[in-house]
This record gives sequence, C-alpha cells and structure tokens, in this order.
Amino acid sequence: MRKAVLICPGRGTYTKTELGSLARFPDRNLLAHFDARRTALNQETLTALDSAATYSVSKHTRGDNASALIYACTLGDSLALQVVEIVAVTGNSMGWYSALACAGALTPQNGFEVVNTMGTLMQQSLIGGQIIHPFLDENWRPNPARRAELLAIAAEITTRPDHTLTLSIDLGGMLVLAGNEAGLKAFEAAVPPEQGRFPMRLANHAAFHTALQAPVAAQGRAALPETLFQQPQKPLIDGRGQIWWPGSTRKAALYDYTLGHQVTEPYDFTAAIRSAAREFAPDLFIIAGPGTTLGGAVAQSLILSHWQGMASKADFQTRQTANPLLVSMGLPEQRALVT
Amino acid sequence: MGRSVIVHENFLRRAAARDFPQGAPPSGPLAPEDAVSIYRAACTSRALDRTSREMQRQGKGFYTIGSSGHEGLAAVALALRPTDMAFLHYRDAAFQIARAGQVPGQTIAYDMLLSFAASSEDPISGGRHKVLGSKALNIPPQTSTIASHLPKAVGAAYAIGAAKKNRPEHAELPDDAIVYCSFGDASANHSTAQGAFNAAGWTAYQNLPLPLLFVCEDNGIGISTKTPTGWIANSFKHRPGLKYFHANGLDIFETYRTAQEAAAYVRTRRKPAFLHLKTIRLYGHAGADMPTTYLPREEVEAEEAHDPLLHMVRQLDQSGALPAAQALEIYNDTADRITRIAAEATTRPHLKTAAEVMAAIIPPPRPCKPTNGPSAEARANAFGSDLKQIDEPQIMSRLINWTLTDLMLTHPEIVMMGEDVGRKGGVYGVTQKLTQRFGQARMIDTLLDEQSILGLAIGMAQNGFIPFPEIQFLAYLHNAEDQLRGEAATLPFFSNGQYSNPMVLRIAGLGYQKGFGGHFHNDNSVAVLRDIPGLILACPSNGADAAKMLRECARLAREEQRLVVFLEPIALYPMRDLHTDKDGLWMQRYPAPDETIPFGEVGQHGDGDDLAIVTFGNGNYLSHQALPAITSSGIKTRIIDTRWLSPLPKDALTAATKGCKHILIVDETRHSGGVAEALMAHFHEASPAKLARLTATDSFIATGPAYAATMPSAASITQAAKELCK
Ligand SMILES: Cc1ncc(C[n+]2csc(CCOP(=O)(O)OP(=O)(O)O)c2C)c(N)n1
Ligand SMILES: [Mg+2]
Repeated sequence: MRKAVLICPGRGTYTKTELGSLARFPDRNLLAHFDARRTALNQETLTALDSAATYSVSKHTRGDNASALIYACTLGDSLALQVVEIVAVTGNSMGWYSALACAGALTPQNGFEVVNTMGTLMQQSLIGGQIIHPFLDENWRPNPARRAELLAIAAEITTRPDHTLTLSIDLGGMLVLAGNEAGLKAFEAAVPPEQGRFPMRLANHAAFHTALQAPVAAQGRAALPETLFQQPQKPLIDGRGQIWWPGSTRKAALYDYTLGHQVTEPYDFTAAIRSAAREFAPDLFIIAGPGTTLGGAVAQSLILSHWQGMASKADFQTRQTANPLLVSMGLPEQRALVT
Repeated sequence: MGRSVIVHENFLRRAAARDFPQGAPPSGPLAPEDAVSIYRAACTSRALDRTSREMQRQGKGFYTIGSSGHEGLAAVALALRPTDMAFLHYRDAAFQIARAGQVPGQTIAYDMLLSFAASSEDPISGGRHKVLGSKALNIPPQTSTIASHLPKAVGAAYAIGAAKKNRPEHAELPDDAIVYCSFGDASANHSTAQGAFNAAGWTAYQNLPLPLLFVCEDNGIGISTKTPTGWIANSFKHRPGLKYFHANGLDIFETYRTAQEAAAYVRTRRKPAFLHLKTIRLYGHAGADMPTTYLPREEVEAEEAHDPLLHMVRQLDQSGALPAAQALEIYNDTADRITRIAAEATTRPHLKTAAEVMAAIIPPPRPCKPTNGPSAEARANAFGSDLKQIDEPQIMSRLINWTLTDLMLTHPEIVMMGEDVGRKGGVYGVTQKLTQRFGQARMIDTLLDEQSILGLAIGMAQNGFIPFPEIQFLAYLHNAEDQLRGEAATLPFFSNGQYSNPMVLRIAGLGYQKGFGGHFHNDNSVAVLRDIPGLILACPSNGADAAKMLRECARLAREEQRLVVFLEPIALYPMRDLHTDKDGLWMQRYPAPDETIPFGEVGQHGDGDDLAIVTFGNGNYLSHQALPAITSSGIKTRIIDTRWLSPLPKDALTAATKGCKHILIVDETRHSGGVAEALMAHFHEASPAKLARLTATDSFIATGPAYAATMPSAASITQAAKELCK
C-alpha cells in the first residue's frame, strides 16, 4: 500500500466552490453530533452553512463558522481515505486542530470542541489581521535573500510607534505576516505589488500565531481541559516540524503546545512539510479538506527542502505529471486516486 | 550470516514469542511516554546501523561503526538538557536521536543518513565524514582518535564557570549547563583520557567549578582486547574529585534514574562525575570485524541474548507503557521508515572537487562587536609604573608583555592558561604582572599537562573565549600535539565551519639561548606545525614586530576564528644589542596599540638586488649581524623576514625578492623537514634567482659551549652569501 502523509488545511480554504462539500461527509451521525453541538451553542449548523444557496464572505469566512466547517470537511476526507496508508499527519495553522483529530490525539468529537471553541474565541476578539506575500518568484526558485528582506521590512515596521507586524506563517514560498492595522498598512506601502494579487490581506483573519493572540490562548486554556487530549495513533507533525509520536507523547505537553506556542508563535508550515518528507519519505502528500490552495505551498516547501532534487516549479510539475506526489482531495480527479 | 542479521532475526522471533532475557523489573522515575521515546530512539539507532551496512554493500555508504548494544544511551540523553554540550563516543547514535526529540523541528533520521551517504547536504560535516554531531543539538563532531575529546570536554566544562563571571560575546552555553563526555572502556586507559580525568579531579579537588559528566560505556572490550573484569569500577570508584555512579545500560529505567542523579549532582554541585554504564557490543567492532574470530561463539551468542532492545520490550511491557506486540510493530515500522529515507538520502549530491572538500578548513569570519580599546584611565591603571617607560626602547619580552596587557584590556574574553604563566609570570617573565592586572580567572596556572592546557583552550574557545594558551617550551608541545593537529585544526572541517576553536597558542622555542640552551629548552623544529591545514604559524624576530603580529593574531582568532600559533624565539626575548655591547640596536619602542602587521606581510630591510637573504626569527637577527661584512664585499643586499611560517606568504616573498639575482635562505630549523625546504621549493618554482640555503644540521641542540654549533651563525651566513654571489 502506498504510504502517505495527510495534510490538513487552514483557514481560508472553504470558499464559494466548496459549498456542498459536506454532502460527502461519510459519517452522518458524527455530522449530526457537530450540528447538535452548534445548535446548543446558538450557532448555525454546519449542514445549514454548507447547504446555503449562496456563499457569503461575511458569514462563511467568520472564524466561528469557517473553522468548524473546514474541520468537518477535513475530517470527513480523512475518514474517506482508502488504498493508502497514512504514516503521519500534519496541518497548516488552524489545520493543526484537524490534524490532532485525524491523528487520533483528539476524538472527532473533542476535535470539534477544540476547533469550534478556538474559532469562536478568535472571532470574538478578532485581534489584528494577516497579510500574505510571496518571496519566491513565479518559477519557485529558492530565494532566501528575498525572504530575509521581507522579514527585515516587517522587523523595521514593528519598531515604529503603534505598529506591530511579525511573522505569522512560513507557508512554503509565501510569508504570512500578521499585526495591527497600522503594521499591515505600512507593509502594503513598503513592498511593490507582485503577481497582480500581492500583498494580499486575508479577510476575517486575525493576527494568528503572534503574541497578539495571548488573550485568546488564555481563554482557550480556560475553556478546554487537558483531558480532551490523548495519545495520537499516528505520528503528528506540528508547526515547528516537531514530531509527536504515538506512545511517547506527553499529553500535557501537547496541550500546552496546542493552546500556547501554537497560538502565539509563528507557525512554520514549511518545516512541517520538511519533516514530513525527510522523516517519512512518503509516496504521496494528501491534502484533505476543502479547497486546493495549499498545494502550491506544499510543493514549494518540498522544493525548499531539496526534496528529491526538485529545485523549481517546472521540476515539481514534471515530477507531478510523471507520478503524482501531491493529491488534493478538493480536486475530483485527484480525490479518486485515494478514495 | 552476519551477526547483524542474526541479532535482527533473534529480536523478531523472541519479541513475538515474548521470550525475553531475564532482568530487573522497571522501576524509578522514568515516565511511560519517555520510556517509549527511548525505545523509539533505540529502534531508530538499530535500524540505522543495519541500514549503514546495507548502504555499504551497495557502495552508497562508507562507514559502518555502529551503536548496537549501546542504545541505552538514549536514556542518558533524556536525563540531560539539549543545551548541555555533548562530546560523544562513536557508539552514541541513540543519544543523538533521543536528544533530537528534545529540540523541535529536527529531521534526525534523514540527517544521519545523509552523513552515512557522505552527502554534501549532511548538516554536520557537509559530506566530509560520517560523524555524530549537530549544531542545533550542541553536539560538536568528534574525530575517531580515541579519548582525544576528553581534554576539551574538561575545558568546555571549565568555560561554563568562567563565563558566569565574564561572559564572552560568543558564549554558547547557559550558566546552568553541564558538559557531557562519553567514551569506551578501552579508551578510558588512554593517557589522554587519564590526563583528562586527572585534570577534572585536580580542578574539582580545589573546589573550582567543573560541571562535567563523564560516561564510560563499558562493553568489556576494545576491538578484540578485553577489559579486565572490575577494572573500570575499581579504577574509578575512588578518584579524588570525581564522583562515581554506576548503572546497567541494558536497563533503561535504572540508566535513566542513575543518569538523572549523576546529572543533578554535576549540575547542582558543579563538580565532575563518572557514570559507569554497562553496555554490550553487538556485531563486533565495525563492519568488517568478525567477533567470532577472536571470541568463542558461545560468548558472542550469550551477549546477543541480552540485546538491549529485548530488555526494553520486556520492561515496557512489564511497566504497562507499551505492550510487546506494539513494540514489535514500532521496531518494524521504524526499520521500514529508515529504509525509505535511506533511499532518498542516497540520491543526494556528494562533494566532488578539492575546493569543495577544503571549503571548511578555514571557518567563516564571525561578526564581533566593535571595541574602542581601553580608556586612558584603564590603561594607566593596568600599566602602572610601566607607563613611564613606554616610550623607551625595550626588549622583546617586555613588548610582548605590554601587547598582551593591551589586548586583555581591549578584549575581556581573552584568557591565558599554562604552566607558571600566572603567579610567576612565565619562565621568561613574558606574562609578568598580568595576574595582578587581570586576576587569576583570566591568568590560569594550570596543572603540568600539555594536553590539558590545550584541551582547556579548545574547550574554552567553544564557549566563546579567546584563549591564549602557552606551552612553556617547544619541545613539550610534541607530546600534546594531537590536540592541535587532530582536534583543534579539524573541528571546522568536520563541522562544515559551524564549530570553531579560535586561539593564539604562544610557544617559547628555537635555539641560540646561551648557557641554558640545549634541546630540552631550545628545540628547533617546527615541522609538526607546518603541515596542519588551516593552522597559522607566526614567528617574530624583534619586539616591535612581535607586538604588531600578536595583535594581528588576536584579530585572526577573534574575528576570523583562526587557530594561530605564535612562536616566540627565546634567545631574542632579552636581546638588546646587534653588533656591539650596549649598541641597543635590537630594542624597540612599543608600537601604538592600533599598529599591526597584516597576516602574510613580510618584513624587508634594505633594497639591494644582488642578494636577498630570506629568513625568520633568530636567522633575521644573525643576518643583520652579518650584513655589514656582506655589503662591504660589494654585495648589495636586502633581508626579508618571512614572519609567517605557515601558510608561507608566497606571493609576498616573490614580490619582496623580485629582481634579486641571488636568494640565500637562512633557516635555523633542521635541514630535513625544516622551513628552508618549503622556501627553496617556492623560489625554485617562482623565481629565476640563483638559490642557496643555510640551515641547521639534522641534530638535536647541545647545551653548554656548543649550543649554537649546529645552526647558522653570522659568520656562516657571510660566507654563504659570498659564495652564492661569487
Ligand atoms: C588513539 C587511537 N588509537 C587506536 C584507535 C583504533 N581504535 C578504534 S576503536 C578502538 C577500541 C576502543 O574500544 P572502547 O574504548 O572500549 O570502545 P568500544 O569500541 O568498545 O565502544 C581502537 C583501538 C583509535 N581510534 N585511536
Ligand atoms: Mg569497549
């Protein structure tokens, strides 16, 4: 059986085209349980959100809605996997909560509690925002100097009075920066526009993975007990590239990381993919859940890790065409390869 | 069938059948999750050992010395912190793997396989050698020379205490760190090891902090030679200053508990400890070694029956941490995973050219905070009454002393260590008053052991100090030379420039010392210092040059992380006169503190083009003495002081002798293997001039009236010059 690393996507992946995704959810009872929990919390059910006639940016991208939606889609996909053996699980940003559940460190129900609670807390406080900008060119050739330059710009901005701007996510060939409005604005003014889209603000996102989230982390720890966590059943790779192994995971440490460091320090998705590649050498990287936007970041992370000698977008595409390395379950033809 | 296959199959069969070796039940503070971590590290280590053999069979791996039987070291790793610098025995893969689990984001299996494959992407040596080591994990790579890492472990431990009072800009270790140093049972007998145990004990015995945990991995044998039963325990139980601990390394619960106790003792008491860990050696010494050729088969099989992995499965199962069936699954999954990773790692690129191999001989420069030098007041305080004489001509030893004073004032991270350098101020008075000026913490009177002096310097350099060790006499460098050749010089090479041990080693040497002299104190060979890649050998011939060159040497160490030897000609220390009594021509004024002679710049006296005398050290002095007689015979002469004996400043020498019709090399070192050999070869390649050389004979130096008989003299230089230019 082919060995695969499962990758859980983060916020921003449930877009208009994802409406109706939950129709595929393989466990009706579980989905009913999520919906019941949402109803009990006076939140619109996932089923209702997913089957809405039209997609509403203001509604569907809110943290208290998007997080649980993405979680459910991701979990559903992981349950639907066949013909592959999952050797490790990782995720990007909020995808960490999904990864915890997909790896068995949280039951599906407890995973829902964690993700829905954190998504709701983030939305309630909505501190700061995120902006995304590439440091690779359109051919994805590694360019560490440009990355350092962008970080230096952010470091300078954040020294200005009333400005904050720090690294939020290392996302393959992109940097996600986060800060307050002044900081984000200053960055937009400081870098030339690229590829017609960047720098790009992420609507309804807060300054995730920065010190600004410390209050949210504290509320999360108050609302969610350590007893929700258990030993993972699969190796779990976090946003530092650290591997949490079945049997050797200290629950308290996993809890502390999830509701501490993970919330308030930069999330290194590139390192997570690097660890996934180098320490598991899988045949496939499978991106579960809604959307197809994470594929680029995964491919770029592999290039940055010198994986299998790939050094550019063309190298990746050649490899991908010859023998797919990356499967996005959001794409029906690729989904068919693993379900 | 190879022993590695036998051990593997035994494990699979016995773990599945729950047929475990007898042993103590699990007990102590090891948490179940950590016990599983240790077992996982052990499985990874074992799988790497087996894979390295497979890689070698396929021509894709190059070194197979393994850690099988020593996997319990993973438990020691968990009893320490990843910031505790670790100097590892070559059987400590499990230690490194377990430590990698303590530092987020490590890809330890891939990294180690890159090292097995000698890939240029290997993160520790850049494909130069299979070594254990990691910058992120505080594991400097070690050479294979048995026990040669022990003296520097003592130095690094000493440096932790020293940095607490005087933290260098480039310090690496936290104040509460300890140093870890492991080795085998046979290695414990090595004189280098014994010197290090002694130095550690000697230091701790006087209540100086030395937070160092020695771990002796006692598998009872060194290649084929057995360690007498009880030898290690009985040799180390009662060493002064060194506390003895003992554990069975096949029992991870006991090992963890004891290692924790030992580490706590070292950390809180700041004293050295010796942890004696019983291990076994599976599969013989290394790849090609068949233990059954020198040990009875039954004995080999009896050891194999105690495979530490089987003990771990037993204890994990007994403690409830992990059922045996799951442990077996982990073993198999890990083996499979390592095979898959190896398939990728072996596709990665290798070093190809000499330039690529050599790129790490010289470490990269490091940024240093600018310093403005000491204030006038600080200088006045330090120099005291010497300041009154600072504008008067002085002998070389005095000028070196003042230079050291200014350097120590400017750079608080400079420390000196050596025999009698402190209280006495050196046997020739070169370091006089420095203890009063800078205190005992920076002027360390060491015990009488050259390996320990150099080890102290290397270890302190690894924690950001700029050591200026002193070897009292050149003849006594030789029994410690490996600390330079095998250790200090190779560290950047084996760590791809990530680790360095910059220093300026001062050595008093060379001949011509009237009366005292003789080989014991006037050795005239520098051959061992001239073929060490990356090492800079400087040799001044007068006080002003000494001052300016020593400043440059300090800069090379501090900013460029270079390993520098500064060879001080003893006979020139007190030299005042050149031609006649009281002419004072060999004394100089102290050059202003910002004056230096750049690395590779040669000295030139005169510009005659009939003859260039190329020389250094005492030869420069003697050539100046000979100069009037040579010029009066009509030979227009210049004298070139080479100054830098390794690497030779070839371009500068070529430029300085350009247009000269004759070149006479005057070399006070021996005819064979002396500096003149290299100079002759160079000028032969680079200059059309007619060449001749005058060297010392292939002899040791006598004491008494014949002290200079074997070496060039002013008269023989004059004669050689006239003959060459005839
Ligand atoms: C100075 C020196 N001499 C000889 C050797 C060759 N050699 C390598 S390992 C070894 C035996 C070491 O035995 P021990 O210290 O017990 O370690 P073990 O291999 O048993 O773990 C010898 C003699 C060496 N590497 N260095
Ligand atoms: Mg041994």
